Amino acid sequence: MNYSSTLLENAVNELAKLPGIGRKTALRLALHLLKEKKEAVHLFSNTIAEMREQIQFCSVCNNVSDTQVCNICASSVRKKSIVCVVENIRDVMAIEATQQFSGLFHVLGGLISPLDGVGPDQLFIESLVERVKTGTIEELIFALNPNIQGDTTLFYIQKKIESFPVKITSLARGISFGGELEYADEFTLAKSIQNRISIERQKNNY
Amino acid sequence: MFKNFEFKHKVIGICGANGIGKTNILDAIWYLCFTKSYFTAIDGRIAYTPNQGFRIDGKCSINNQAVNAVAILRETGKKEFSVNNDLYTRLSSHIGKMPAVMVAPDDVIIITGGSEERRKMIDTLICQIDETYMQQLMAYNKILLQRNALLKQFSETGFTDNALLHIINTQLITAGSYVYKLRKDFLPAYLERINKHYQQISGSNEQLELSYDTPLDVFNSKSEQDAFELLFAQNHSRDLAMQRTNGGIHKDDIKFLLDGMPFKQIASQGQRKSLLFAIRLTEYELLQEYKGFAPVLLLDDVFEKLDEQRMANLLLDVCVKKQGQVFITDTHKGRLEAHLQNVGCDYEIIELV
Repeated sequence: MNYSSTLLENAVNELAKLPGIGRKTALRLALHLLKEKKEAVHLFSNTIAEMREQIQFCSVCNNVSDTQVCNICASSVRKKSIVCVVENIRDVMAIEATQQFSGLFHVLGGLISPLDGVGPDQLFIESLVERVKTGTIEELIFALNPNIQGDTTLFYIQKKIESFPVKITSLARGISFGGELEYADEFTLAKSIQNRISIERQKNNY
Repeated sequence: MFKNFEFKHKVIGICGANGIGKTNILDAIWYLCFTKSYFTAIDGRIAYTPNQGFRIDGKCSINNQAVNAVAILRETGKKEFSVNNDLYTRLSSHIGKMPAVMVAPDDVIIITGGSEERRKMIDTLICQIDETYMQQLMAYNKILLQRNALLKQFSETGFTDNALLHIINTQLITAGSYVYKLRKDFLPAYLERINKHYQQISGSNEQLELSYDTPLDVFNSKSEQDAFELLFAQNHSRDLAMQRTNGGIHKDDIKFLLDGMPFKQIASQGQRKSLLFAIRLTEYELLQEYKGFAPVLLLDDVFEKLDEQRMANLLLDVCVKKQGQVFITDTHKGRLEAHLQNVGCDYEIIELV
């Protein structure tokens, strides 16, 4: 496509680098920004630059934060003895949205996968081991994806901390809530039968 | 260009000149059984040029139940597969519902080719019988890729993380020992039956030996897990040096010996073909036992390279003793008809022109 302005072309090129944005959408966004008032666009670009510039990663759990320690880790009402280990920041948000978890988090920043060139060193595993060493943590809940890489990561960390008196649990796997049995795949259904729960516990689940 | 055929008899002979479409009919039947072509992984290739799509519509009866399977490839490349007007969302769930066994000339690669072909042969069969086997095998292959990537990384960075290697070994062993155990339990009887069939077809006293050959057996361990542990320990430094996994179920093979010599080295074309038949007939029987009804048997160009006696033995077995429907292609109508008349089965000949 031919642009009559190289400035416009540059903007389109930059926007097209974003995930899920193709060149046509990038052009649409750029033209939209052109129509906006200059102040509004200024605010827009400033906001983004500021976010990148000033955001911090919590020194304890590696979650995004405005301060050196994030507000979850700094909160006085949250249980410091339970830590939920997740892959990325989006998982923190997903679990926070449930409002069912009152402990702290630890964001690994990925999963061990040699195929993708990700080893334990690139992840925040050492800092988790350090946290466990302090002795304040009683339980680690692993909320990692139920796949091979998730298991590798879980077993690896478990091995690293096996000498410490910490209880290690992982998310339950089975039939999704509101799901219908006949549509559940056989593997999930088989797991659910193996790991069935008592009705007493089920009653308290609502 | 649609064509309609009706197959009313137990044995269907299909004859006609080269390139007329004999094998095409077999492949269409195979397609309805396995949702893909026997000969190519690319659906577009089997469409009648210059068309980009096709429709295969087949009616059959399984255990007295009427089944209408329809496969459609749209011009857009979209594939639709339905049974009795019920559209599948996952094609793999159809596999095993309409079992079929094909014997095609190129299949001798099982005998002459690398060990991969033989693993594929046993895996295809066991996967239809045991679903956990399929899952564990898929998991094993994925973890194996991770392990090999890790070994490469070790050599690039010059640092060996033994803790991580150990974890991945454990995961590999969990999946691998299931596959190993099943192969160990399943294969001896399977190979024994192949041998029996071979003797039947050859009608002679050729000394054929078949054995399951795995690097895990030398350890004679109590459990499959132990064997794996020992194998990995033994290969540890070699794995690190060569940056790949030297031992495991991905190295398993089936050894064929004829009179004590490697089969593929000394066997004639006809003997190879006889062994191929023996393998396929065993698959046929196992599927029948497991499914409770006879699979469809598709024989492509089988008259080549087999002598009269072997052919007669074979036809008697598949056309008279077996219960399922049999499709046979050949270029010579006279030869085909004579053979079928000879064994005295219920047959019809379809001549393509």
